[in-house]
Amino acid sequence: MTRTVVRASGLTKRYGSFTAVDAVDFSLEENRIYGLLGRNGAGKTTVMQMLTGQIFPNGGELEVFGRAPAEHADVLRRICFIAESQRYPDSFNASHVFTAAPWFFESWDAAFAERLVDDFRLPLKRYIKKLSRGQLSAVGVIVGLASRAPLTFFDEPYLGLDAVARQIFYDRLLEDYAEHPRTIVLSTHLIDEVANLLEHLLVIDQGRILLDRDADEVRGSATTVAGGRAAVESFVADRAVIGREGIGGLASVTIDGRLSQADRIQAAELGLELAPVSLQQLIVHMTGTDLRADAIEQEVAA
Amino acid sequence: MTAVMDRPLVGTEPRSRFQEIWRIVRLHAVTPSVFFGIPWIILGGAWLVMLVIGIIVTGAGADPVAMGEGMRYSWAVLSPQWYLIAVGVQAIGMTLSFALGFGATRRDFWLGTSLMFGIVSLLNAIAIATLVQIEKATGGWWVGISMFDALWYGQDGWLVDFYTTLALQLFVLFIGASVTTVYLRWRMRGMLALAAGAIALVLGVVATFTFTESWPAVFDWFMGLGVVGVFTLVLGLAAICAIGGYLVIRRATPR
Repeated sequence: MTRTVVRASGLTKRYGSFTAVDAVDFSLEENRIYGLLGRNGAGKTTVMQMLTGQIFPNGGELEVFGRAPAEHADVLRRICFIAESQRYPDSFNASHVFTAAPWFFESWDAAFAERLVDDFRLPLKRYIKKLSRGQLSAVGVIVGLASRAPLTFFDEPYLGLDAVARQIFYDRLLEDYAEHPRTIVLSTHLIDEVANLLEHLLVIDQGRILLDRDADEVRGSATTVAGGRAAVESFVADRAVIGREGIGGLASVTIDGRLSQADRIQAAELGLELAPVSLQQLIVHMTGTDLRADAIEQEVAA
Repeated sequence: MTAVMDRPLVGTEPRSRFQEIWRIVRLHAVTPSVFFGIPWIILGGAWLVMLVIGIIVTGAGADPVAMGEGMRYSWAVLSPQWYLIAVGVQAIGMTLSFALGFGATRRDFWLGTSLMFGIVSLLNAIAIATLVQIEKATGGWWVGISMFDALWYGQDGWLVDFYTTLALQLFVLFIGASVTTVYLRWRMRGMLALAAGAIALVLGVVATFTFTESWPAVFDWFMGLGVVGVFTLVLGLAAICAIGGYLVIRRATPR
């Protein structure tokens, strides 16, 4: 049986006249890996800060482990959130961070943390403020993994990490998640890098949730149709178009919704090429401004 | 399937409140240089300078008693206090953000930080009051200098020196910390309001005393307080900062 760990309804955060998070509704289930995806400034960090009690919502309801998170020690002790822009005391180096961690995370695995330090080649004795961006990300990743908190957030974990380190994060996360299931929320704008990790997607743009669906459902849900312009246009005429590109007589149109066997046969007869859309591509289509330009183009064409 | 919860998921296993507060003390002490190392390096450095000056002055044939008298007006004994205001600021400004990331509550953070301030102040007060006595017993570290036995120190015994240092130390730490909570909660607008409020308060008090021509009475009252009375006022201010900081930090949002 799955339990709901987070339930938000009408959750809102305003900064002056700017609405960072606009009345969003969503819930997070126990022991799943969520992707919180969106462009820079979409509201990802604001959502996570509210979920972890670091900032106070302006409206709506929020329950984490059944309670408002802010100032509730018994909720917060189950949460680990190292923000991408996490500040550390000036006098701290990475080893101070890992020394203090077990006092705050009851399931902290020191041996695991040690192994991760070796994996990421993190210099333990260098001041945090002297670390490179990638090394700073590694500190957050190590705390997030080794804390084994029932609700763990990774805020832009890939920022500045090299390819090897990204692979290590990916492998270690899956290994450890298999042995110690927990709810994990990954926020990132580098979508393809994490696409295969994610079980459920929350796409946020301009403070609103655009998509809240299982990753598997989303993966097969969009298709790019390419071929001669006229053939493509006739094929997509009554379908939901989410992206459109074209050069000369060739067109490539991305449509939402699954294709039936009959659709595929029809496409083949028209000489059209069908290609699956990567998660990143799909989200670019959903959150990019190009959609509006397409709409105008469509109107002009019509 | 998904269950609708009718009671909180959070566990009820007991975890002592003290442990949650004590870990904040440990967090502050994880880099002991901040609260202990650097202040004592500053004080030790000042002491060394005084010692060398003492040796030079007496070596040049000056009267050691007159030198000791002059040194009583040196502020060397207070040299770490400026740094400790900054420690109070950083304890909130930087460590709070980190502690929240690690799942501490603001309440526990403030209580733990206050406990840390208390421990530091207690240790410093014991050390300074004792150093005053050692300085007096050794005739100014055998060269006639008067560093700890200066200002109001060394006149009313160990207990008064201890009490005044404790009060001053708590005040210095809590003023830095509590002002920082105002910044974290209301940012620049809060700081400006606080500064404006403080200035208005001072001007109002000055105006009141001036127009009621009560300055001589105020001075008399202040002189009548004596050293212990003045530092009891300082301790009161520290307590106001501590309580104010607790109220303000509860909804502070670090970046």
